[in-house]
Amino acid sequence: MKPLRHAVIVGPSLALALVMATPAAAKPADPPSWRPVASEKLIKLPTNYLKKSLDHDFAQSALSGAIQDADSEIGLKGQTLDDLRTAIEQADGELQVELRHQFLAQKREFITLMKRKADLRRRHLQTKQRTLERLLKKLGQEKGAMTPARVQLVAQQQQARARFKGSLAKVDLAVLASPAVPESKYAQEYAANMAAAEALAAAIRAHPMNSQARQDGQPASKADFIRQMLADTQAGVAVLEQEQNVIGYMAKLVALDALALSESVMDAELTDSDAPRTAGPAAAVKYFVN
Amino acid sequence: MKRTLKIALPAAALLAAAALSAPTTARADTLANMERERALLIETMLDGEIAASERQVRLEGARRRLLDLERMVLRDDKLVGRNTPNVRRAFANYDLTFLVHASAEKNRALADTWLAQLGISTQSLMAAKQGRR
Repeated sequence: MKPLRHAVIVGPSLALALVMATPAAAKPADPPSWRPVASEKLIKLPTNYLKKSLDHDFAQSALSGAIQDADSEIGLKGQTLDDLRTAIEQADGELQVELRHQFLAQKREFITLMKRKADLRRRHLQTKQRTLERLLKKLGQEKGAMTPARVQLVAQQQQARARFKGSLAKVDLAVLASPAVPESKYAQEYAANMAAAEALAAAIRAHPMNSQARQDGQPASKADFIRQMLADTQAGVAVLEQEQNVIGYMAKLVALDALALSESVMDAELTDSDAPRTAGPAAAVKYFVN
Repeated sequence: MKRTLKIALPAAALLAAAALSAPTTARADTLANMERERALLIETMLDGEIAASERQVRLEGARRRLLDLERMVLRDDKLVGRNTPNVRRAFANYDLTFLVHASAEKNRALADTWLAQLGISTQSLMAAKQGRR
């Protein structure tokens, strides 16, 4: 088959395939996935570590590997497109038509890869969003457990502790005043352990990994931090939708280019054709007038 | 080696965080221990069968034990927000529950503090009349 004829047949079918196939690519049998669990352990992690833990979990998943593979494939395909464009500029005649056809086919594959990557990224963002929503819900459930009776109890316990701390020295003086009575084992060991615990607590407070997450310069609570992460993820989904629109426009442009290529090849074939032009009756009048 | 560290370090951090938050399996019920000791102290206080000197010795020993037990309850983080009838009742009245601390704070005898919390005073006892119900 001649390249020109080949382009004429394949051009419209390529355009049709692009328009029809772009929204839904063929799905693999076992799609790569990421299955994070919104566990109690995750909720109890420090806010800064929560994000790192989720990111680390994702980096270990098959979905992350698939996104990286798609990225490298897109990079290679971009190089191929560059090479073809340079070759088209240097070629002419039938070879140029053939190269233009190749260029369109490669563009189509590039778009398919971009769409695949966008789908994978969407899956990642949607999974992350669901996980964060579940975390927020669990956190809310913990807060929701603070019924009025429980709030009152906690307040009473805080008052009791404050009163106990305030009267500790006085009580010690009153009860342990007699030198004949030694301090109890509990009191002695508690004091020793307390000093050790305070030293450790100070070290934990000063530890760089224990620094509290901040939002607009203010210390953020765990719920605030998760909500911020959720908002960022939703923003990522919105940007991804916009990117998919761009991919759609790319596909449309490739389809139009394919139609233009097909039409230009057909025009050239018609110009070269040996078929006789059909004449009107006026041209045949000379045969009838003597 | 690096890969092992990459995997092991976050796992160790998770383990440490979990260890800090996980409740201990052997749970010592500080409140129940304190209530038991307080009940024995009140029983000793009200026991008419024992001599005053013996009561004094027993109360002194019970007071010292109760002092530690009350502190254990007040410092017990596991009781914070535990909304059970026992815990609610215990923290509803500091003077009645933490008898040793409340008495020492007010420089009063244990029996005086306890009776005052129950609404029994010298005046109310003196005003009481003996009769048949």
